[in-house]
Amino acid sequence: MSHAYRAVGWNRQKRLYDLATGLGVVLFLGFFVGGGLWRYPDATVETLLIRGLGTAAILLLHVILSIGPLCRLDQRFLPLLYNRRHLGVTFFLLALAHGAFSIVQFHALGDTNPLVSVLTSNGRFDSVSGFPFQPLGLAALVIFFLMAATSHDFWLANLTAPVWKALHMMVYVAYGLVLLHVALGALQSETAPFYGWLLGLGAVWVFGLQIVAGWRESRLDRGRSEALDSEGFLEVCSVAEIPDARARIVCLAEERVAVFRYGDKISAVSNVCQHQNGPLGEGRVVDGCIVCPWHGFQYDPATGTSPPPFTEKIPTFRVRVSSGRVWVHPQANPAGTRVEPAIVAEATGEAGV
Amino acid sequence: MNVQWASGLLLLIALYATLGLCFGLPFVWRGVGRIDPQAEQGSWGFRWMILPGVVALWPLLAWRWWHRRPPPTAWTAHQRGDKGGTAE
Repeated sequence: MSHAYRAVGWNRQKRLYDLATGLGVVLFLGFFVGGGLWRYPDATVETLLIRGLGTAAILLLHVILSIGPLCRLDQRFLPLLYNRRHLGVTFFLLALAHGAFSIVQFHALGDTNPLVSVLTSNGRFDSVSGFPFQPLGLAALVIFFLMAATSHDFWLANLTAPVWKALHMMVYVAYGLVLLHVALGALQSETAPFYGWLLGLGAVWVFGLQIVAGWRESRLDRGRSEALDSEGFLEVCSVAEIPDARARIVCLAEERVAVFRYGDKISAVSNVCQHQNGPLGEGRVVDGCIVCPWHGFQYDPATGTSPPPFTEKIPTFRVRVSSGRVWVHPQANPAGTRVEPAIVAEATGEAGV
Repeated sequence: MNVQWASGLLLLIALYATLGLCFGLPFVWRGVGRIDPQAEQGSWGFRWMILPGVVALWPLLAWRWWHRRPPPTAWTAHQRGDKGGTAE
């Protein structure tokens, strides 16, 4: 929001989230290394730590990639989304530690520069077991570094949300590189097919969730009438379809519009939050302001502006109610333009602009 | 990749990162407040936190600092529409 930047805007929920994440990571590593030493007494702590860090990182990556589509499918997952950036940075630190320990363990003892050794040690592109899997992991780590390094809100404001999001969508490229890194690396020394199946199942889960969430949203986008009136207003839904203090999301002019009902008023604003492009229509109206479900950014539904001292603005739309039906003009007003809410008459559901 | 290519690539990356660090330290101290008003009173924790990203993206920020450009506006399809584009 529009105030002096701090490293982290701490609150109770963020502290609890980070505490749970940290405890989870420490416990996982403890069990992995401890269990490994118990089961394989000949294994070294260094090797188990490298494997444990890598396993923790890839598990966390699956959790991170699942949070977005799960929230689109069921709002009960939203608390996980709130502090996902901290989860992302934690994942990067695990992956970095895995990479650093691996380089020290496997590449630092010769007379070649360890990083040069990583890039040149395996060079058989025609062989599955001799494929250069380590540069694949290094390339993924570079992408994860860029994402972690640009995770602060400063970068959102200075790169703009669409560019920032495009940069962070590279996580799927990095995920593909990680799958190859594991399949061509660690899995080559496994005799049981279990871990291969697990990796495949993880990929099917991640991409399957994305496809299901995307399919459901595209179905919602298509599911409205195309009735235009003489003034260019488009019928979007009935008043009764919008629960109080909630919104109905419709797709107009290439992007989604959130049509909010709050008390006897109806307003329409862009569904895209200025912060991280969060889905405002999945939020609710609290104390007269729309609250973004992702990070709590607020907007006045009639003006599309954040309450002072904040300065975010989103486009608004003209809206009216007739015979219990809601009509929205698809031409967006400039961000921050005041539009009088349509008033719903209680007895009949009739209203004017 | 042979050793010569790998060494050359790593040298280029090291050079880029060194230039980024040389730019990044004065940038997080002074420059960041010139291109983003919210950073003017930003804490030192925030300044150290953005340093790795500054080292990675320093040419973009150097251009912005040189031209004293404020943060750009994010354009959605709706905002493009209200600037004269067609709606549907």
